[in-house]
Amino acid sequence: MKLAIQVNNLVKVYDGKVKALDGVDLNVEPGVAFALLGPNGAGKTTLIRILTTQLKPTAGEAYVFGLNVIKEGSKVRKLVSYVPQEMSVWTDISGYENLLIYAKIFGVPRLEREKVIDEVLESMGLDDVKNDLVKTYSGGMIRRLEIACAMLIKPKIMFLDEPTIGLDPAAKKVVWERLNFFKKEYGVTIFFNTHYMDEAELYADEIAIINRGKIVARGKSEELRRSLGGEIIAFTVDKATIKPDLIQNIRKLSFVKDVFENGNLSVLVSDAETALPRLIDVLKDEKVSVERVSITKPTLDDVFLKYAGTRVEEKGRISDVTHMRTMIRKG
Amino acid sequence: MIEGFKNALVMIELELRRLRHDRTEIYFRAVQPILWIVIYGPVMSSVRAIPTGGVPYTDYITPGVMIQTTTFVSIFYGLMMVWERDIGILKKLLVTPASRYSMVIGRSMASGVRALFQALIILPIAFAIEVHFVPNQVYFILAFIIIFLSSGGFAAISAIVASFLKTRERFMGLGQAIIMPLFFASNALYPIQIMPPILREFATFNSLSYVVDAVRGLLITGYIQNLPLDLAAIAIFDTVMFTIASISFRRIIE
Repeated sequence: MKLAIQVNNLVKVYDGKVKALDGVDLNVEPGVAFALLGPNGAGKTTLIRILTTQLKPTAGEAYVFGLNVIKEGSKVRKLVSYVPQEMSVWTDISGYENLLIYAKIFGVPRLEREKVIDEVLESMGLDDVKNDLVKTYSGGMIRRLEIACAMLIKPKIMFLDEPTIGLDPAAKKVVWERLNFFKKEYGVTIFFNTHYMDEAELYADEIAIINRGKIVARGKSEELRRSLGGEIIAFTVDKATIKPDLIQNIRKLSFVKDVFENGNLSVLVSDAETALPRLIDVLKDEKVSVERVSITKPTLDDVFLKYAGTRVEEKGRISDVTHMRTMIRKG
Repeated sequence: MIEGFKNALVMIELELRRLRHDRTEIYFRAVQPILWIVIYGPVMSSVRAIPTGGVPYTDYITPGVMIQTTTFVSIFYGLMMVWERDIGILKKLLVTPASRYSMVIGRSMASGVRALFQALIILPIAFAIEVHFVPNQVYFILAFIIIFLSSGGFAAISAIVASFLKTRERFMGLGQAIIMPLFFASNALYPIQIMPPILREFATFNSLSYVVDAVRGLLITGYIQNLPLDLAAIAIFDTVMFTIASISFRRIIE
């Protein structure tokens, strides 16, 4: 069986300066939901735009269902659908009219058109508002309409760039229920970019973590978390009391697997119950004032912190919301 | 070829649907040309300074003013492409099976639809102020086909410029800077013969002159001996602009 996506040593350099992708290798099996997780500017969008034949890579190769995206672009475009991060529907016509125009561009045969449009409208829950102008839709409805447009041709693979950016949790959930429906019903492979941990964790069968143009880890969410092993003891500490060599000293301890400092002091150990009293002793000796302690299993965020050296959701939370608002205002 | 034609039709349909929902822009844009023919025309004709070959001055400038507005519409259509780049429509269109070439021509020709409506809206005013048209329906239809086809070429110019500028703010200024020289260095308001020699040279290469000449012949003077030359010039202009626009289209999205 052909791989849905096969990427070999892909490099993209913009204007000879900015290296967006720095040797990406990636295989994606057909029929899965695959998340590319990374902070803003990690190269996620660039990868999707190359896979959807919009951009040419500087070096390397990429295949979608065995078709070369550079040499066989027109064939690739017959198999794929794409929902960009930015709004991609016309807001001054109705939802139904958007679907009609896209159906014609995609070349859906005239006799099937009405049936296909009704189908996607219904499965996306937009039946009641199909004749309203899109500018009256909410952010979640616009997203669902965009996905409806992408489903008109029952693609073999659907590329979604930050599908739920700026949506509230309820709208997010509805969008994903519909996407999963398409995945199950038609076997559509879903490849999506996100910088939301929970989204990757909840909806992706597999996850690849990308940072600075490189895939730094990949696997099922459970596997990734297990790859860290053990438990995390997080100390909320008074930052002023941390000495520069504290982290090094803790790392040297035999029972400590790793330490990350990111506001909190997070220590990865294999057995928290025996490690905690000893760590508290060390912190006391170092005169660090501890305000609070918690023990958790590693989360995807911890995985990300380990492989990429930064927390994924730090950047962009506020900018997401403003981004979505600008999008709607522009319409 | 057939595919390109089909896509152009879809884009035209899109434009018609948008116009059905909201025509405010067309009404507002009609203000300026109406001022030209209702105020500027009669005032200048009382001076009798411009040789128009016996045609009343307001009649003489009516086709020019109509084409100036349609050119405005087409040039600012490029602005819409920049806007569509800002939002994701252009990106999404590029990931459909439709060829890029057909997208450029389709979008450009769609501007012709808006242009047609814009030209038509001036007609009742022109009738009201007693502009004398040639009473020939075939000429009329032909004139509007010419306006439609030439608009595509002007929209392609703006797509080319849009591919270099990429932001709306820059484009707003440049849009004016393209249209006004095209308008003044053409035969829209006065015959080319009375221009200074350098300007006359420019006007000879100005595609707007040929469009105005053809439409004026068909609508006002009935003098259509130049029509084959005008049509050839418009066809060359469209072909060249479509080709360059298709090549530069990649730049818009990158």
